[in-house]
Amino acid sequence: MEGVILDRQRSVLIVDHSEETCEVLQTALQRRGLQTFVASRARAGLELARRHHPDLIVLDLELDPAGPEDVTAHFFEQSQADHAPLVMLGSVRREETGLAGGEFVPKPYHYAPLVRRIEELLDTSSYPLARAD
Amino acid sequence: MPSLFVIRGNDQGSRFELEDTAARLGRDSSGAIQVHDTEVSRQHAEIRRIGHDYTIIDLGSSNGTFVNGKRIEQHRLCSGDQVQVGSTLMLYTGPSDEPDEGLQQAIRIATSQQVDDRSQIIHSVTEEEGSRIFDPGADSLQNPWLARARSNLQVMYRTALAVSHTLDIDRLLQRIMELIFEWVDADRGCIMLVEPPNDELVPKVRRTRDGIRGDDRITISKTILDYVTERNEGVLTSDARQDERWDSAASIVQMRVREAICVPMRGRYDMVGVIYIDTSTPPQEIIRQGGANKFTEDHLKLMVAIAHQAALAVEDTRYYSAMVQAERLAAIGQTVATLSHHIKNILQGIRGGSYLIELGLSEHDETVVDKGWKIVEKNQSKISSLVMDMLTFSKEREPDLAVANINQVAGDVIELMQVRADEMQVDLHWEPGDPMPDLVFDPEGLHRAVLNVATNAIDAAGESSPPGRVAVRSRYAADKAVVRITVEDNGPGIPPDQIDHLFSPFVSSKKSRGTGLGLPVSQKILNEHGGRILVDSTPGRGSRFVLELPAVIPQAKSQTSTH
Repeated sequence: MEGVILDRQRSVLIVDHSEETCEVLQTALQRRGLQTFVASRARAGLELARRHHPDLIVLDLELDPAGPEDVTAHFFEQSQADHAPLVMLGSVRREETGLAGGEFVPKPYHYAPLVRRIEELLDTSSYPLARAD
Repeated sequence: MPSLFVIRGNDQGSRFELEDTAARLGRDSSGAIQVHDTEVSRQHAEIRRIGHDYTIIDLGSSNGTFVNGKRIEQHRLCSGDQVQVGSTLMLYTGPSDEPDEGLQQAIRIATSQQVDDRSQIIHSVTEEEGSRIFDPGADSLQNPWLARARSNLQVMYRTALAVSHTLDIDRLLQRIMELIFEWVDADRGCIMLVEPPNDELVPKVRRTRDGIRGDDRITISKTILDYVTERNEGVLTSDARQDERWDSAASIVQMRVREAICVPMRGRYDMVGVIYIDTSTPPQEIIRQGGANKFTEDHLKLMVAIAHQAALAVEDTRYYSAMVQAERLAAIGQTVATLSHHIKNILQGIRGGSYLIELGLSEHDETVVDKGWKIVEKNQSKISSLVMDMLTFSKEREPDLAVANINQVAGDVIELMQVRADEMQVDLHWEPGDPMPDLVFDPEGLHRAVLNVATNAIDAAGESSPPGRVAVRSRYAADKAVVRITVEDNGPGIPPDQIDHLFSPFVSSKKSRGTGLGLPVSQKILNEHGGRILVDSTPGRGSRFVLELPAVIPQAKSQTSTH
């Protein structure tokens, strides 16, 4: 990341029912110079995604049942539209979601690799960064 | 709803309801009935509804579909049919007959006030007495045939009684053997059951007539056993040497079995075993009686009937045990799943906390370390609370009684819950009862009970769209000698169909947040005190939980403490 100059601050949306997970990811990502949006419910998360068009979405697949049925599909659509990678946390296999893309991180996960992965995805996604070589 | 219940195999305990007009059965996850059995084809069979009936059709599976032990291509299912695919055995239960709506009107149970029927009880019979209806009466001397018929009927009646009175197979068989010995002049008898893994006949009950040496070993001719089991027929060998069927088998001659009855125990589906009795008449008695014919064809017929009854009972008992076992396994599975999920979430929290601590340490940022530490501590208390709940729930214990004040205990809980309530923007209101005497109860237990109920209330109130509100009140009802703690929330309420499961362990409606132990533990603690929890909930409006326990006034201070 170092040495790359961004023309705007990049952002990550975290949608997770666990306040702890949100807090940990938020702290870690903010320290890396990323802007974060946080929601504990699917509906609020979708609103944030549509309003702020984050560069990456972290979505907990075990959200409380209050949200719409096809939560994952809505987030996937939004991530496709924004060219923002979608990272899904939970013990769900790709076949079960029927999604054509997205990253799956099974629970329980370690934070260090997850944060690294988020950085990698941001590096290779929407912004074709002007690299030195 | 017609269904298939798996009684053996990897899916033991699963019930598949046949809702649609056609249901695929196989290993494939796309089918309505997915069986986790490697011997089952992906698309193994199909169950189709035709009118009121269901028919199972084999879809060219590699290992075949079996109904009641017979391989079938197509078979119309009847309730009680056993369907076997691979090593999975399922029990089919057909649609219940349409409830006769007129039945309720057609039959009326009248109370004594509605007297349009002046019938009175003029005689009553207990079950015990019922078995004596067939006692040979005075006329039996004049009519031996009638006497015999009565006696036979009585044996059948008593067999039916024996069958209905126990679920213990060994005791049941013992009783049946006793009945046989009371009624027929046998010297020795035994019952053998077909048992896994090799489907061999294993002796279960053995009996010898009083006076016959008890250590006398019963040797049963394999020839007879094979005949009975293969042909499924009962046999009477009145004189083994004269029966040409046994000529080739010298065993009978050598054993000097003169009369024997061996009958198959044929149940609904299979032969479950055999009953064998024999008698040997000494030569002097044969000369005196002009032959040996203690066993007659009547005996054989009745033995066949008794054996059938016994077999049905053995089968029923086995299925009952299998059902209980399956249900137990399913309950354990559910418990383990809920607990694993909860522990996984705690683990996730600890990982988050320690990650932040690591991050803070490496960057020398104390605020991050502090953040991480708080998360670790919170999860530590979650584990401790889970373990305490599990301990409270798992063992029988006596409440640890002490003199304490309910207001103090509930007040502590409120104080503890304030942070959580603030986080969830729930207004937590506490109204201590006055007067509130010191009482004898288990303060720690009650603390836990109130805490669990209050936690639920705050979580529920947090769900509601208007500002969440939880009100906790305590009241001492001196006239009824009870104390009540009422916890009321304005959350979404409890759907009526969930009220019944509210106190079942490991059933949480809070998904990832609940252990499913909170309310069962609270209820257990209240029950230990001789109290109870009352629930009142209106969906959309909120719920009210009342924890009620007897007010036990401490002996020494009973005069002063009420002030």
